[in-house]
Amino acid sequence: MSTATLTPAQLRAERWRLRVRGYRDGWSRYRRRPDGLIGLAILVVFAALAIAPSLFVGPLQTATTATGTSLQPPSLAYPMGTDELGRSILNLTVHGTRVSMIIGLLATVITVVIGAVLGIVSGYVGGRLDTVLMRITDFFLVIPTFVLALILAPIVLEIVGTDAELFGIRVTLLAIVIVIGVTSWASTARIIRSQALTVKERMFIDRARVIGASSAHIMRRHILPNVVALIVANTVLVFAGAILTETTLAFIGLGDPFQPSWGQILNSAQTAGAPGLGAWWYIVPPAACIVLVVLAFTLVGSALDDVLNPKLRGRR
Amino acid sequence: MTGSERAGGGAPAAAATGPASGVAPLLDVQDLKVYFPIREGLIIERHVGDIRAVDGISFTMTRGETLGLVGESGCGKSTTGRAIIRLYEPSAGRIVFDGVDTMTLDRAGMKGMRRRMQMIFQDPYSSLDPRMTAGGIVSEPMDIHGTHAGDEKRARVRDLLETVGLNPDYAERYPHEFSGGQRQRIGVARALALEPELIIADEPISALDVSIQAQIINLLERLQARLGLTYLFIAHDLSVVRHISDRIAVMYLGRIVELASSRTLNREPLHPYTVALLSAIPIPDPVVEARRRRIILRGDVPSPANPPSGCRFHTRCWLRDRLGNPEVCSTEDPPTRELAPGHQVACHFAEKVDGSAEQVQAVGARDAMPPQPSTPPLPPTHPQSIPGAAGA
Repeated sequence: MSTATLTPAQLRAERWRLRVRGYRDGWSRYRRRPDGLIGLAILVVFAALAIAPSLFVGPLQTATTATGTSLQPPSLAYPMGTDELGRSILNLTVHGTRVSMIIGLLATVITVVIGAVLGIVSGYVGGRLDTVLMRITDFFLVIPTFVLALILAPIVLEIVGTDAELFGIRVTLLAIVIVIGVTSWASTARIIRSQALTVKERMFIDRARVIGASSAHIMRRHILPNVVALIVANTVLVFAGAILTETTLAFIGLGDPFQPSWGQILNSAQTAGAPGLGAWWYIVPPAACIVLVVLAFTLVGSALDDVLNPKLRGRR
Repeated sequence: MTGSERAGGGAPAAAATGPASGVAPLLDVQDLKVYFPIREGLIIERHVGDIRAVDGISFTMTRGETLGLVGESGCGKSTTGRAIIRLYEPSAGRIVFDGVDTMTLDRAGMKGMRRRMQMIFQDPYSSLDPRMTAGGIVSEPMDIHGTHAGDEKRARVRDLLETVGLNPDYAERYPHEFSGGQRQRIGVARALALEPELIIADEPISALDVSIQAQIINLLERLQARLGLTYLFIAHDLSVVRHISDRIAVMYLGRIVELASSRTLNREPLHPYTVALLSAIPIPDPVVEARRRRIILRGDVPSPANPPSGCRFHTRCWLRDRLGNPEVCSTEDPPTRELAPGHQVACHFAEKVDGSAEQVQAVGARDAMPPQPSTPPLPPTHPQSIPGAAGA
């Protein structure tokens, strides 16, 4: 044990060194998971598409700017064919990425925030509050997300209208975001609560109470950091679920026809009678994207769970 | 803390049990009870009974002393410590700290009181938050109570780490980067952060290696001498407790069965249970050790949900067997009697223990044991235990 005193600058360097080492350890564990790497690669590609779709396929084609003929099979000019209005399916699908991803992201934020807060409070405070919160959670847990979304979506659309814009996103999308968020937080809350219950019994929580810490302090400083790994892993899985729900809602006609998400494209395909006409190119690209993204999130989620959960570490 | 005696508060009317009667005690616990309710039923919970973890114990502590609290697992010694610092809500009784009845304090009042009493926990692995650095752990009490901030706080953290024998530069490290002994030092440092007067040490060394145990004990003793701390030292190992304690309280099934100075308890134990505990401590003299007969208690501690009638120890008592199972043991709860100044015992037949072969053997006095070779008295097992003094 050296007793040399470090200068503040050296201390800062030491702090960074330890932090970087922590991240590097995590990354080196993650790197050993091929499934996680594949998932990550897929997500990077889709993230790029979502950030700058025009860079890859040009501006979004509308009925007026469509260049092709109706329901053209894949060709060199239209690698994935065209829809009934002559728009390139490739163009629509790539632009749909952004909408699907934004909806998934925002819905996930809502889900995780509600779920984490309720889960931590319910698990830590316990007693009557826990009982009440968990009965409410049970209520949302047993109601099929999709059915509730089906009822809520038109109501929200009615209230906020279909024209307004917020942060450059049409509120109709926000309606879908809210619907997904409100209906899918229950399982997150359950998972976080179970972990909070475990952490709460650890001795360092007693220790914090002995030094006079308030419940709010304990939840913020001790419970939250110890469940954050679970929250991260759960977030990724919620993201996949949110995209699926959005697709379903859009497919049955509760999306926004002016902003093509993947579900919206499938809905258009259905309306145009693509299956009956044998226009498979209208259906396969958006469907494949959905499958790929959901699969990628699931892969990343399970790999992250493995990396972040110390109890699972070194089990393989 | 200066360690100076505080005037005021007034000593309670209850008989002073400490050696320094007349001085207002720092801590006065009267008839403390901690019951944990047993509930049944899924939707409508019915109260069907209680676990009587602590069932009416009284003791006082003077400033600067160390009171050892010993007993088997489940006897309520940890619960007692936790009730004093209010981690558990006492069911009944009074806990008077420096003249203030803590049971009457509201949340804010208790928060202030917590600055003056702190706790060291048993398991240094689970009592440190794995997501906080050593410095963060030590400075957290100061954040909560707002005693130090900024550079002053950092300086104090370094100071505290140094005080407990850790390199102050380790403040940025996480608990898993320390050994068990180092972790317990962090635990001690954070208990000191608020300059408490009373430290409740709940089995602070039970989870450590034997070699490390001595280091921590020495650290605690050094800190006591320097800072004038008062310790409630909870442990199941009587040999450790008698080393560090001025007085010792022996607990059995939620009660204090014997309370005496460390020296007296070692030389003249008056409760059959204490005698049994002492007989389990090895004596570092092969001659004496070979002649000793251990008192092996039968069975386990009975359930505190349904304690035995009369004397709680009667189901396992060797003295009761020898006296031909007197009825009073199983029908009457023995009152706590003060048989000598500062020596309390709760046994109907404590006088029969005094000078009995079992007592003598437990203490390890060799001259009382047949045959008696003419050898000098054995070296003391401990500075405080003087052999050959059995029989008052």
